[in-house]
Amino acid sequence: MFKREMKINFKSFVIWTSILIGLFLIVFLVYPSIINSENMEMMDEMMKMFPKEMLKAFNMDISSIDTAFGWLKTEGFVFVLLITGIYSGILGSNILLKEESDKTIEYLNSMPVKRKNIVINKILCGLVYIILMIAIIGIFNFIGLSLSGEFDKKSYILLSITPLFTEVVIFAICLFLSTFTHKTKKTLGISLGIVFASYFLNIISEMGESTEFLKYISIFTLADIRNVIVNVSINPVIIVLTIVITVIFMALTIIHYEKKELI
Amino acid sequence: MKKNILEIQNLTKYYGKIRGVENLFLKLEEGEIFGFIGPNGAGKSTTIRSIMNLINKTSGKVLIENKEFNKNDIEIKEKIGYLPSEIYLYDDLTVKEMLDYHESFYKKDIHKRRVELVKRLELDEKKKIEDLSLGNLKKLGIILALAHEPKILILDEPTSGLDPIMQNVFYDLLKGEKAKGNTIFYSTHILNEVSKICDRVGIIKDGNLIKVEKVEDLSKKSLTFVTITSEQAKEIIKDFKVNIISEDGNTIKFGNNLPHDELIKKLSKYKIDRILIEEATLEDIFLHYYK
Repeated sequence: MFKREMKINFKSFVIWTSILIGLFLIVFLVYPSIINSENMEMMDEMMKMFPKEMLKAFNMDISSIDTAFGWLKTEGFVFVLLITGIYSGILGSNILLKEESDKTIEYLNSMPVKRKNIVINKILCGLVYIILMIAIIGIFNFIGLSLSGEFDKKSYILLSITPLFTEVVIFAICLFLSTFTHKTKKTLGISLGIVFASYFLNIISEMGESTEFLKYISIFTLADIRNVIVNVSINPVIIVLTIVITVIFMALTIIHYEKKELI
Repeated sequence: MKKNILEIQNLTKYYGKIRGVENLFLKLEEGEIFGFIGPNGAGKSTTIRSIMNLINKTSGKVLIENKEFNKNDIEIKEKIGYLPSEIYLYDDLTVKEMLDYHESFYKKDIHKRRVELVKRLELDEKKKIEDLSLGNLKKLGIILALAHEPKILILDEPTSGLDPIMQNVFYDLLKGEKAKGNTIFYSTHILNEVSKICDRVGIIKDGNLIKVEKVEDLSKKSLTFVTITSEQAKEIIKDFKVNIISEDGNTIKFGNNLPHDELIKKLSKYKIDRILIEEATLEDIFLHYYK
């Protein structure tokens, strides 16, 4: 069943990974010409015009965009986070529900397999693809950065791991939500909503003290890029929090799926 | 006494306030083919989905070989072959890939039987599932239900979409299963099938099982149609208190539940010009129960 699951989800994995890689390929090809030109000075001037809060939201106050790594730390990771986030959300809401939406669950349910095992196989497949996507884009950018010049490798490696925390939690939450309906159409909007709403909450929370509390309800807080850039380490609390939230939602998924009417 | 293979005890299923089935009791013995008939919306699919644990029962339970069938009971699931009325399989696979995937669920080797069935039903393994016609999809469904040699077959309108030749092949397959001592729960609304292959029949109406009977008894005793031409037609109607099916001057036609000798005794009081007693077909009987 796991093998079959991997096969079904392979195509969308390739498409989403290609989008990300294509995006960064363009950046690595174009960036050198931007850095070495006068445009950069102009960009710097422009940046100064932005309010501090805005720059903070994109980590531009602690990193500059005058190198490829600098860009990656600021805008680059926004793309990684959002695109892998959307992928994880769609994967989470589809992977289990697709059997019901396509009505193939009537077949699968009649096979000698426990419901719990159906869910576990789907979860494993989802996790493998999320990790694989983050690893591939991490390796690709590593090669790209190596070709573009010197950069802090430890800081980079830690940085490329950070999206994993957010994406695994998004996957787990969307998977759980998908057990409340029978049609994938319904969950798709909700899961994308969660990703975007959560992302904007995170941005707003970083703009000032009065909005800081919002970070506690944003999944993107788990991708603690600021901490990684400043301290070159991953906060252990984030790791524990990710594991706890993920395990809770996956357990809830299994419990709720056990009771679910499949038709 | 034969062993109980499938037993439904007090099955009730409500969808909110809407009744699916109510207080359904049923026992199927080893080696019998049980026809489960009823019109659309009578509760056939609800019963089958409850047996298969696709939906949650409001109350009641299903026993397989006297053991309660819970949704995660792998051992029992291995004994059941299920063919849903509408078959949905993985469109991206070919027939061969689907059958390989199916084999992977079973511990025992089911390849030999699969090959036999594919040959018997003349199915092309190279075809993609999304390209299969309704009939071929049904054939694949039949193979998936039978390949692991289950002791119990639960079939929901299994012949819809099959051509007459394949229907006969399928009936032969079922007879073979019966000969092996396997039990078949056969849901259908094609009455002809019931009289052809079933041993017993259960009629479900508005969520209630209203009659369970041997097929031969049902067609033998229950109903005849009597057409009489007589000047005393009106008196006969009064005397018999029957539901008239048609009336044309002195000729009347009515459904009759009385045994033949009793009927003739009662009619002997009247002057009758012409009489015709017809054996009701299973279809007539069925419609009679649904009035």
